[in-house]
Amino acid sequence: MINTNNLEQDVRLLIADIIEMEPNQIDPNAHLVEDLGMDSMMALEVLAALERKYKIKIPEDELPRITTVSRAIELAKRYVQ
Amino acid sequence: MVAGTTTIASAEPAVRFPSLKDRVIAVTGGTRGIGRAIVEELARQDARIAFTYLSQEGLAEELVRQVKGGGVEASAFKADVRDLKQAQRFIASTLEQFGRLDGLVNNAGIVRDKALMLMEPADWQEVLETNLTGVFNLCRAAIVTFMKQRAGRIVNMTSVVGLVGAARQINYAASKAGVVGLTKALAKEVGSYGITVNAVAPGYIKTDMTRGIDEKRRGELSKYIPLGRFGAPEEVARVVAMLLSEAGSYITGQVIVIDGGLAI
Repeated sequence: MINTNNLEQDVRLLIADIIEMEPNQIDPNAHLVEDLGMDSMMALEVLAALERKYKIKIPEDELPRITTVSRAIELAKRYVQ
Repeated sequence: MVAGTTTIASAEPAVRFPSLKDRVIAVTGGTRGIGRAIVEELARQDARIAFTYLSQEGLAEELVRQVKGGGVEASAFKADVRDLKQAQRFIASTLEQFGRLDGLVNNAGIVRDKALMLMEPADWQEVLETNLTGVFNLCRAAIVTFMKQRAGRIVNMTSVVGLVGAARQINYAASKAGVVGLTKALAKEVGSYGITVNAVAPGYIKTDMTRGIDEKRRGELSKYIPLGRFGAPEEVARVVAMLLSEAGSYITGQVIVIDGGLAI
């Protein structure tokens, strides 16, 4: 069973790593593209990293929905369960 | 397997690219002409092959039997490349069946040759949708898989006609020139993901597409080809195999012209 708190922290770390920011500087509701300068390629990297880490398969259609850290966490939770 | 049929994979290829062994390659329009030669070449290279066909179910089944007879895994899928949904289903089915995807060959293409003054909008649209939108659809369907695995090879079939033009082929020439632009743009877009995107531009090759050219005209045309003859589909297929293999690891955004020197 995957700990939800760990998952939240993991997603935050993954995104921080990809957009090269300190994890605690990222507002969970900040828009990844508009506020944090992330592009669609980076969103794909987040998706691929989540898939690798949790051995899950997230459909490609979810890609446009990775808009904030909170959304990415929600998505990961949904597919991990 | 059909009795007495020579198995394709048991034959030794003219040039072996060992890195292609067990690689999964998706090919569109695999039953005839250059597409068929590509499927056969990949079989000789011991790659695993998924190919599409549009209408020639019998030919597709026979080709799968021949390839499998040589101990190589192959599957044929009925798919219209003009439809993104069908392109997505083809790629998803390939991934499901083979468990991976290493390369994509966008080969499916048609001609509707006419002088512009006689060309109907349908002649224009059908050619553009198959030859250019079809490439977009398949690239769109496969690109996320390639990007996630940070590896992938795309080879698009264009034509010498897309580079130098030809009378009565404005639709075909425009579609193939479009493929060149798409190839170069996509090569720039996904290069950092370890994906190569190249195009192959054949000249006169002996296929169904050039069968309509009579013997006399063929002789005349050959005079303009420095090598003095039409090419064989296998001579194109071999270059496609090279681009899909490790031999092509540092080649991207290129158009490889295979025309015996016609367009020099």
